[in-house]
Amino acid sequence: MTDYLYDGTFEGLLTCIYEHYYSGRADGIFRQDEYQRSLLCDCCVVETNPVKARKVYEAIECKISPFDLRRMYRAFRSCVEGRETMILKYAVLGFRVGSRISSLHGEQAVYDVQQAENKVATEIDKFRGIVRFSVLGDGEKKIYYAPVEPDNDMIEFIAEHFSNRFRDQAFVIHDLKRAKAVISARGEWYISDFEKEKLPPLDPDEEKFRELWRLYFDTIAIRERTNPKCQAHFLPKRYRNYLTEMNDTGR
Amino acid sequence: MDVYEKLKVLADSAKFDVSCTSSGVARRNNGRVGSAVDAGVCHTWTADGRCVSLLKVLFSNDCCYDCQYCVNRRTADCVRATFEPDELAGLTIEFYRRNYIEGLFLSSAVIRSPDGTAEKILECLRTLRKKYGFAGYIHAKILPQVSPELIYAIGLEADRLSINAEFPTMKGFRLLTPQKDPQNVFEPMRQITNQLIEHKALKGPGLMFKGQDLNNADNYLSASSPQIRTIRRNIDAKIAEKSAADEILSGDAVKTKKPETSRDLIRTEEPVQTGYTAVGSRRNRKEIFAPAGQSTQMIIGAAGETDRQVLAATEKIYRTFKMKRVYFSAYVPVVSSPLLPDVFSAPPLGREHRLYQADWLLRFYGFDADEIVGEDHPFLDMDLDPKISWALRNMQIFPIEVNTATMDELLRIPGVGNLSALRIVRQRKYKSVTYEDLKKIGVVLKRAKHFLTCSGKFYGDRRMDPEVIRGDVLQMKDGEQMSMFSSGRTGAPELQDGAETGPRIRIANPSSRINIRKEAATK
Ligand code: SF4
Repeated sequence: MTDYLYDGTFEGLLTCIYEHYYSGRADGIFRQDEYQRSLLCDCCVVETNPVKARKVYEAIECKISPFDLRRMYRAFRSCVEGRETMILKYAVLGFRVGSRISSLHGEQAVYDVQQAENKVATEIDKFRGIVRFSVLGDGEKKIYYAPVEPDNDMIEFIAEHFSNRFRDQAFVIHDLKRAKAVISARGEWYISDFEKEKLPPLDPDEEKFRELWRLYFDTIAIRERTNPKCQAHFLPKRYRNYLTEMNDTGR
Repeated sequence: MDVYEKLKVLADSAKFDVSCTSSGVARRNNGRVGSAVDAGVCHTWTADGRCVSLLKVLFSNDCCYDCQYCVNRRTADCVRATFEPDELAGLTIEFYRRNYIEGLFLSSAVIRSPDGTAEKILECLRTLRKKYGFAGYIHAKILPQVSPELIYAIGLEADRLSINAEFPTMKGFRLLTPQKDPQNVFEPMRQITNQLIEHKALKGPGLMFKGQDLNNADNYLSASSPQIRTIRRNIDAKIAEKSAADEILSGDAVKTKKPETSRDLIRTEEPVQTGYTAVGSRRNRKEIFAPAGQSTQMIIGAAGETDRQVLAATEKIYRTFKMKRVYFSAYVPVVSSPLLPDVFSAPPLGREHRLYQADWLLRFYGFDADEIVGEDHPFLDMDLDPKISWALRNMQIFPIEVNTATMDELLRIPGVGNLSALRIVRQRKYKSVTYEDLKKIGVVLKRAKHFLTCSGKFYGDRRMDPEVIRGDVLQMKDGEQMSMFSSGRTGAPELQDGAETGPRIRIANPSSRINIRKEAATK
């Protein structure tokens, strides 16, 4: 049994898939920094190689399908444990059966990756709604800032949505868990490491609109129908930390 | 009055309106700020578990009408408030930019006259679109008796239009809302449907008209089309004893699906006949009219109607006006009146939930109202969802073989949803579907096992006795059935997301190029 260890990048994972074919079978793929050594398994560190990664990338795109490539990438961004090994198995099956892989719902490899992808997709839908911006800075230069803590590493998947929608406002969506952010202005965006320290203070009007929003939120609940269980089903507690309507203070 | 107070009063007055989704249209930012997502976006959930998508307020609650069930009726003693058009537009933009909301849902009481109110609403929407460059979602409610020209103009600003159907029966109308004539409700619905056809934008509810182009002469509703004629006739006969038998409000299931002579219905030469066609004919080709279509809502449990009456009216509204969605609102007793349920009675939430499930069967599963609630069983079973209730009444067609059944047949199996049916059909092109596969496909086997076979093998209860299966489902479902109850207004989990566009099905499309290279490179 051999486990391959990689550096945590998608290229790294693709390189591992390459090596699986050209230097010997991998039984599992894991991040080097999270790996727990065991007596039963050998492991070897695979150095990320852009050329090999690109080969695998293109092979998946052509021999399986762009859909499956996207699916694998999204699954890779999920927080599901063992996702790299699942993706390896998906790729192996995909290279055998081609683009019909996504129709073989009974296959464990397909099911696993589909579930992981689904986790990300669900969170993308959720975060389109629950990201909350605060206006920072006074005078001319205003920044819209939103802190988030998603389960999956997914802010890049909501970047396009917000950057198109708020084309005329400069904004930052800050993933506090991963210390990175989507930074966007004029309809363009990029991902970068990010520190909260550099932020300007709140806009003087900000508190007023927060207050109005809270007022609205509290007003529209129908007392006769109160149902906290149902509310928690859609809005788990872990997502509430930065929701304006659920908190009185804080950015 | 400052904006805080106004917001409090006018949001409070609008909160019973249920149709708050932001779905039905996808649009990239074509203004300065805003876009629309086809499946809609929920921004938060209130303490009662309802999704908040739009800023839902009344423009004014200062009403000159006197509807019995309404907190804002003229004779009620309450605080009155009215927004300024710019004030509300400004507030909407500030909320939108912070991503609190997906857009605006604007309704209103009748301030002095329906047209006067509609003009104010129009002014507000225009300010929002033009002055603030807002390209997000707008849902505008049309009041009864607003002139066709104003409806048209509002439709050019709004994404969705709706008119409350209010009650599923004539009796409800006559008793509870004396100043509203059902004709004034159905006439603008007709106009909107026709206008959508003219703009080639009529899509219909769910999968009901899947694969059909609705934007043709056959679907054009003339004031003299059979459906409308029956409505008229019944309304004229209002005074007569049997007047409750109006075509829409009769409680019978749909019989006529098409006008007999479609040709008679289109007036090609004479656009002046009705004011709005004249407006329509001058329109610019690229003009967009209510791209997210039309919806309506009915109050449940205020006028003693049966579920059969509700669903029959719903189905007729879908078939006649082809509107996107009919919403149900469990009546919350806010007003004490001898005509209405007691103020202490609980709103019929369970019933509303089952009705939504039935509505889903109409729109996405090819059911007719008659199959769901028949003459001998005019109410839905509160313990079981309507699909399994239907199956238990029709055991003779089961079990269905999953490897050969058509899509329509698969959809009839309890525990098989749109997504799982699609997956079954896709997989069996390459490989037959086994019982073990079904679970991974997403079929709820505990339920489905009694109703299907996999390559000839049956896994359910051999007796195929409805009572036994019923007992079995109720028992093991305990948890799930109940949680379906509590998990929200539109019910079963599958009903939550994209409740209008249907389950969001992600299908492999090899031709779609994806740019993950960019995504990958940004890390
Ligand atoms: S017209 Fe509308 S606001 Fe006015 S009383 Fe009737 S339901 Fe209430």
